[in-house]
Amino acid sequence: MATRHESIQYKGKVIEFPYDNQAEELIPDEELHEHLAKPTTDRTKRLKDRCRWKHATAGEFVEESVRAGIERMRLLTEGHKNSEGKPEVLRRAMILANILNKGTVVLQEDEIIVGYHAESPNWVPLYPELSYMAVQDYIQSRYAPQPVEEAKEINEYWKKHSLQAKCETYFEPIDLLRMYQVSTMEAPPFATGYNSMIPPYETVLEDGLLKRIELAEQHIKKAKEELSAPYWNAPERLDLVPKIDNWNAMIIADKAVIAWARRHARLCKIVAENFETDPKRKEELLMLSDICQRVPAEPAVGLRDAMQSKWFTYLICHAIDRYASGYAHKADKLLWPYYQTSIIEKSFQPMTHEDAVELFECERLKISEHGAGKSRGYREIFPGSNDLFIFTLGGINRDGSDGCNDCTDAILEAARNIRTTEPSIVFRWNPKGRLKTKRLVFECIRDGLGYPSIKHDTLNTAQMLYYSQFSKNNNGATIEEARDWANVLCMSPGLVGRRKSQKTRNEGGGAIFPAKILEITLNNGFDWSYSDMQLGLETGDPRKFKTFEDLWEAFRKQYQYCMSLSIRAKDIARYWEIRTLQMPFTSSIDDGCMELGMDCMELSEQPNGWQNPITSVVAANSLVAIKKLIYDEKKYTMEQLVEALHANWEGFEQMHQDFKDAPKWGNDDEYADPIIKRFYEDILSGEMVKITNYSGGPVMPVGQAVGLYMEIGSRTGPTPDGRFGGEAADDGGISPYMGTDKKGPTAVLRSVSKVDSGTQKANLLNQRLSVPIMRSVHGFKIWLAYMNTWCDLNIDHVQFNVVSTEEMKAAQREPEKHQDLIVRVSGFSARFVDISTFGQNCIIARNEQDFGPADLEYLGVEF
Amino acid sequence: MATCAQCRSFFLIPEDADDFEQGKGDCVRQEQDEKGKYWLSKPIMSHTLTDTCPHYKGKN
Repeated sequence: MATRHESIQYKGKVIEFPYDNQAEELIPDEELHEHLAKPTTDRTKRLKDRCRWKHATAGEFVEESVRAGIERMRLLTEGHKNSEGKPEVLRRAMILANILNKGTVVLQEDEIIVGYHAESPNWVPLYPELSYMAVQDYIQSRYAPQPVEEAKEINEYWKKHSLQAKCETYFEPIDLLRMYQVSTMEAPPFATGYNSMIPPYETVLEDGLLKRIELAEQHIKKAKEELSAPYWNAPERLDLVPKIDNWNAMIIADKAVIAWARRHARLCKIVAENFETDPKRKEELLMLSDICQRVPAEPAVGLRDAMQSKWFTYLICHAIDRYASGYAHKADKLLWPYYQTSIIEKSFQPMTHEDAVELFECERLKISEHGAGKSRGYREIFPGSNDLFIFTLGGINRDGSDGCNDCTDAILEAARNIRTTEPSIVFRWNPKGRLKTKRLVFECIRDGLGYPSIKHDTLNTAQMLYYSQFSKNNNGATIEEARDWANVLCMSPGLVGRRKSQKTRNEGGGAIFPAKILEITLNNGFDWSYSDMQLGLETGDPRKFKTFEDLWEAFRKQYQYCMSLSIRAKDIARYWEIRTLQMPFTSSIDDGCMELGMDCMELSEQPNGWQNPITSVVAANSLVAIKKLIYDEKKYTMEQLVEALHANWEGFEQMHQDFKDAPKWGNDDEYADPIIKRFYEDILSGEMVKITNYSGGPVMPVGQAVGLYMEIGSRTGPTPDGRFGGEAADDGGISPYMGTDKKGPTAVLRSVSKVDSGTQKANLLNQRLSVPIMRSVHGFKIWLAYMNTWCDLNIDHVQFNVVSTEEMKAAQREPEKHQDLIVRVSGFSARFVDISTFGQNCIIARNEQDFGPADLEYLGVEF
Repeated sequence: MATCAQCRSFFLIPEDADDFEQGKGDCVRQEQDEKGKYWLSKPIMSHTLTDTCPHYKGKN
């Protein structure tokens, strides 16, 4: 039997909590998830059963068949060698064409969206031009590309051509060594190859690539006329030369993409005519052949066109031309015109709403088997998942009307029905959002998917406008464009649309780790617990600090050193991306790049700078404990604290208990909260915004965690909040430390709301809610009241785990029975059984929030 | 010595295709593993010798 929530005395009434679906009362708590997956059709059931998952755990791929392919790196290298002497941007276009013209194209049975990015659907491609270290990591593993000697030779070739080799010369060896420790700051992207971007899908679907080629040709014609007009004027005209190169590169890239898509069309036709025996599937393959022949060359007309065109664009931008994590786009806005054509008007590719749901389920499964050739380090920080794939729904449209539509609902229904960890969904919460869609958001969360995560719509739109004022060419977002945003990865918003979207992680992304920074501040910049080196500045012996402000200022200096170094590293990488890693295909589909004849690595119309503080709450709680016990109450000295920390609290048990019992974040505490608010606003944000990045705008904090809260926790010694050395840190941004938010869900909201959201770019709030409350007849009403209060309090973000401890423990005992159990880690969802036991226990340890009468009253719930 | 043109997996690229070249074809192979069937297509020239190709199957 399921556990039913106890009745509550509320406003003179006894409130009972029967299950919304009465049949669930007969299902034991530990079996619930087994009854939740309901693929819409036999096809999606089959596709899920045979999905070629690329999940990793502890850095290893879970499926035995996953390997690294050699084809992309071989064709990349051949293209690079063959194009020597050409302008760099043309080389990049010719390399892409070489990969697309000669690479293998893949078709799988049952698929209705086709295309893969390696020579086998079980394999992942590699990117030696981005990070030879990541390729080296594969070469020495069981996933090594074959023949391995050839792979080694290719990797050796790229060492001298790599971004890393070009960028390292601008740094002192000590700074590089400090960055490569990945304990106070993430290693720079020029070393990791990790990347993220937002392709302007809109132009591909609305215009088609043939139109983009025509535009580039017109620009070249006009530029050549201008060049040859009488009275040569070098200052006015010489800039046309690189523009002509850029437009020519766009044409080469777009033609190659069209030809590659049409190779898929041919493959579908050949299989239909020579291999397939089922007449229905034959017909389907011929339909797919027709679609791939037309898109992305031509504009999409129906929903099937749009989905296929989007998928091809995604593969090129995120996996073939260059690796980029993410799946950023505003899916319901992008697809709504095609949904209308096919489902409502039925004028092209007619289908039902259920057919659309099936198509969206198929898309989820394509993403689930999409492999990313990331290094082991980056596989480790997304335990139980594949990569970060996140798209956005909801919010408002450019004209200010409700952005939720029937397409939004179909996408949410697909997510609820098929139950896959990827792609994750962000829902933009706006008071205008229709209730029907919010109910579906609730159902996904209630079913334990961990998504949609929810972002405050108006706050984030305002942020897009704030950044626009720093635009280098005075062409930042208008109000209409500011309303058109999606999360770039887990947390940070960026513009979507035909121009001005973010194209590189060097604009925004990368992490900084305040807990470790505090640890070394307490040791004059020396890291005694992990790297055994001077990891930061010498900011003084903390035992000689006379006031709490002395410590505060020392921390500020350490933090600023890491921040400036991190952003300098990204901007120097950007400098070289502009010169050697141009993306002519992506440029061709950006209206700004097309108009100005610029590559998308160089053109930045809308600044979007950010860095992710991860482990902030451990640092903040530690500062609270130090202030209270050392400087205010003087119960202990700094000397004693330093000694206790070096002993990992061993022999200092009472002292450990006192530091552990010090006030903690998330309890609406009048002592802790003002200190922590100041920490977020004065240091985390205050110091970051003093930095100006490549795009001319400030850098702002995006507090989050991914799996790094465990990874960095393991590299961080004991901390003054009572945490032992090596234990996990806080699981995200502004989330209370696991198990320390003891005053209910509304106390958490009150604490979090004290930090001015306008000073932060984003801040992740992880909450775990009671399963019996959420699945009860009152679940939606209570959750909706919670969300409306959250919105009124101007909090940036919230995401939920709704999975019982009983079920997670049952999955630990018998993992084979719980393959479908999904949990929210932080910023992404993961298959629970694929997470390490340590990671699983960290999730179980999160406080499960219940709603008592005081919470319900605060939320204004009426029964 | 057999060439790709004589192989069952060889499909000549039509003249109106974007990537048409005289004698160029698609080598299309069906594969199957525990997850199911899939098809791979790679460009190949018709005159390529097949002596080192493990997948060669002559046309009937």
